Amino acid sequence: MSQLLTTYQFPATAFKLDNGLTLIHQHLPATPVVVVDVWVKAGAIAEPDQWSGMAHFLEHMIFKGTEQLEPGAFDRVIENRGGMTNAATSHDYAHFFITTAAQHLPETLPALAEILLQAAIPADEFALEREVVLEEIRQTYDNPDWVGFQALSESIYQRHPYGRPVLGTSSKLLERSPEEMRCFHRFHYQPHNMTVAIVGGIPAEEAIKLVEKYFSDFDAPASCPTYTPEAEPPLTEIRRQELRLPRLEQARLMMAWTAPGVEHLRSAYGLDLLSVLLAEGRTSRLIRELREEKQLVQSINSAFSLQQDSSLFTITASLDPEHLDQVEAIVGDAISELQTTPLPTKDLARCQRLLCNDYAFSTEAPCQLAGMYGYYNTIASAELAVTYPEQIKSFQPKELLHLASQYLSPYRYAVTILKPC
Amino acid sequence: MQKKVHFSEPVPHIHRTVLANGLTVIAVENPAADIIAARIYIRAGSRWEPKGKAGLAHLLAAVITKGTEKLSAWEIAEKVESVGASLGTDAASDYFLLSIKTVSADFANILNLAGEILRSPTFPESEVELERRLAIQDIRSQQEQPFSIAFDRLRQAMYRDHPYSFSSLGTEETVANLNSAQLQEYHQTYFRPDNIIISLAGRIAPEDAVDAIAQVFGDWQVPPTPLSPLLLPAVLPQASWSAIPQATQQSIVMLGYLAASVQEEDYVKLKLLSTYLGNGLSSRLFVELREKRGLAYEVSAFYPTRLDASQFVVYMGTAPENTAIALEGLRAEVERLSIAPLDEEELQASKNKLLGQYALGKQTNSQLAQIFGWYEIIGLGIEFDHEFVSAVSAITTAEAQEAAIRCFVEPCVVLVGPETAIASLVSPTI
Repeated sequence: MSQLLTTYQFPATAFKLDNGLTLIHQHLPATPVVVVDVWVKAGAIAEPDQWSGMAHFLEHMIFKGTEQLEPGAFDRVIENRGGMTNAATSHDYAHFFITTAAQHLPETLPALAEILLQAAIPADEFALEREVVLEEIRQTYDNPDWVGFQALSESIYQRHPYGRPVLGTSSKLLERSPEEMRCFHRFHYQPHNMTVAIVGGIPAEEAIKLVEKYFSDFDAPASCPTYTPEAEPPLTEIRRQELRLPRLEQARLMMAWTAPGVEHLRSAYGLDLLSVLLAEGRTSRLIRELREEKQLVQSINSAFSLQQDSSLFTITASLDPEHLDQVEAIVGDAISELQTTPLPTKDLARCQRLLCNDYAFSTEAPCQLAGMYGYYNTIASAELAVTYPEQIKSFQPKELLHLASQYLSPYRYAVTILKPC
Repeated sequence: MQKKVHFSEPVPHIHRTVLANGLTVIAVENPAADIIAARIYIRAGSRWEPKGKAGLAHLLAAVITKGTEKLSAWEIAEKVESVGASLGTDAASDYFLLSIKTVSADFANILNLAGEILRSPTFPESEVELERRLAIQDIRSQQEQPFSIAFDRLRQAMYRDHPYSFSSLGTEETVANLNSAQLQEYHQTYFRPDNIIISLAGRIAPEDAVDAIAQVFGDWQVPPTPLSPLLLPAVLPQASWSAIPQATQQSIVMLGYLAASVQEEDYVKLKLLSTYLGNGLSSRLFVELREKRGLAYEVSAFYPTRLDASQFVVYMGTAPENTAIALEGLRAEVERLSIAPLDEEELQASKNKLLGQYALGKQTNSQLAQIFGWYEIIGLGIEFDHEFVSAVSAITTAEAQEAAIRCFVEPCVVLVGPETAIASLVSPTI
């Protein structure tokens, strides 16, 4: 039997199964589609340093089947019935999803459970698929924005594994064995680490029944080297690096600040608002000043990425190399202003409305809802996801001023500059 | 044996009206969320750009939101952003598009703004200058991506004098010569009510949607002169070979075949073949070249829907030392479709995949507004939503093979990668 966890406002329902697995379910009777999105707390931060890249490589190997399902069989089960499937790995999670017609769920859900719980990781497939991952790594090196962002992450996270590339490196991947991957799988792919989000045209009783039946046959946990991420000491200076890249047409200015993780979710949301204020839309401060008025950049963006242990606040611009210093100084001034001058109510209202509408616009489809619940449940709890609009609406200028002073600074940040060779 | 599957998608009721001035309205009521999405399509994509002015429609898209008779660039942005709406413009090959998305209560205001932008833009000289300079930077930035380098070359090789030979950005040379007067002229010629489709979906009754649109656009007079038909050079298949040396980690191998336009019989068959080859984890190229041989991370096929001759493209990124076998592998997989028919199981699986994903592509309001408006603007009509499904279901293995034989003659080949890896390769036929 499963135990009910959920409170009132939450439109979905969370269940904890006896084995410790969490199911989040939302019934959308009008849609013929069902999305099953399985989130595993086994991203790159779970890897010991020497195993860097293991979580992502395992995500590939999951699709190589089990003793019952030969490589490729799972893909055919889903796609030949008109469904879609894919997966992704980040620092905090790996997740695997299918979108399928409701009537096919009795065939597609068991197949998804089978590959996740019973991954065989055959040695010959391991060697072959590693070539694919090496190609994936090679492809990222041809993308200057990825190269720059990775260098920036390594610079700002010198201790925490958020600084390591999720894909790992060729040399480290070549040292790993199928046996080690099986240990990693059996250690982390356990019910207490897993959230199954099911959204769409399926009633709760049926969803529970399917999940209880097929997400039950877990192997006993294997032992595996584990890793507890170290907290990153705060930045005390401007940490600057400059890379010269071939084939680069425009310079890049990439600046980053660390911000609180999920345990201070409200602070994180406040910084999300400040990021919009700085560089989302033509009326935002930096786009207006740098793209429209002074015309110093080709483009400028600001992003707030919520992560479990430590979030990242970034500002990145593409520009002519001759404007690098001036633009960096202007961004610094904009940060100072956030620390000293309370936001005009009108600006705050614009950012609040924009983020609340973004939330509404990005929770239309079942796959968006399932992804949001699964993600939040992996780094905190699913119910928190839906508090976002209310939280955003409740910010006042004073609190944001305080957050800017606490987490942003024109004197303490990491900056990576890319210049053409 | 593969079974036929059906998505019992509830068919949305599509309301279609033509206003007295010739403007077509398509409305789909979808009360699921408090959102309205609209797509305003105009027959003014880059296909209509005069020779030597590639990039004009794209520049127009960038500048049209930067000043009207009543509003400055700043005021326009403020009207949109202060209510958290989105309003975007884009120039595709076959149409020009203005997209809006709002919560329902803000829809009328933003639609009003869209009307002002489309009907009385002023193209201020200073904004033209800024956006032209940024467009040129964007063109240069495209060259940072090996895929873009390859695809640019492929387009030029296949389309030569036809406007499809350029990306919508245009080229540095053509964009440098564009000016405000040319934007005015292009706007005056093509932005007229009988050349526009407005398609929307969301929490609004169809009759209210039509009223709202009539209020903003109903008094827009059709100019007395009819639009003159567009005469474009015919495009003929012609094999070619390009090797572009770049200091990259991977080689990009790309093959393109001139392919049926959306009006031709072969269109749905080639859609099916492109699904078979390149769509999803169980697609033929993915299984044969990635899963079984480990040659690539990204390997795929695409066949865009086009008013004029389209292109059927297969490509992959691979380690430089694998360039030759990647090329051979891609080519063999494509040509295999001409040599032998698919078996029944492969055919049915591909149909299920194509139609299943087609149904999945109609979930959000934006997707609904997009697809019906698009069918209308490219002349297929909203009925095509059903016709497409029946046509795909009816394809036989023999018909698919015949379409393959007609399409996959001699490819245009493009290789991008380290000189040592690509220079020594030569086309077997050229």
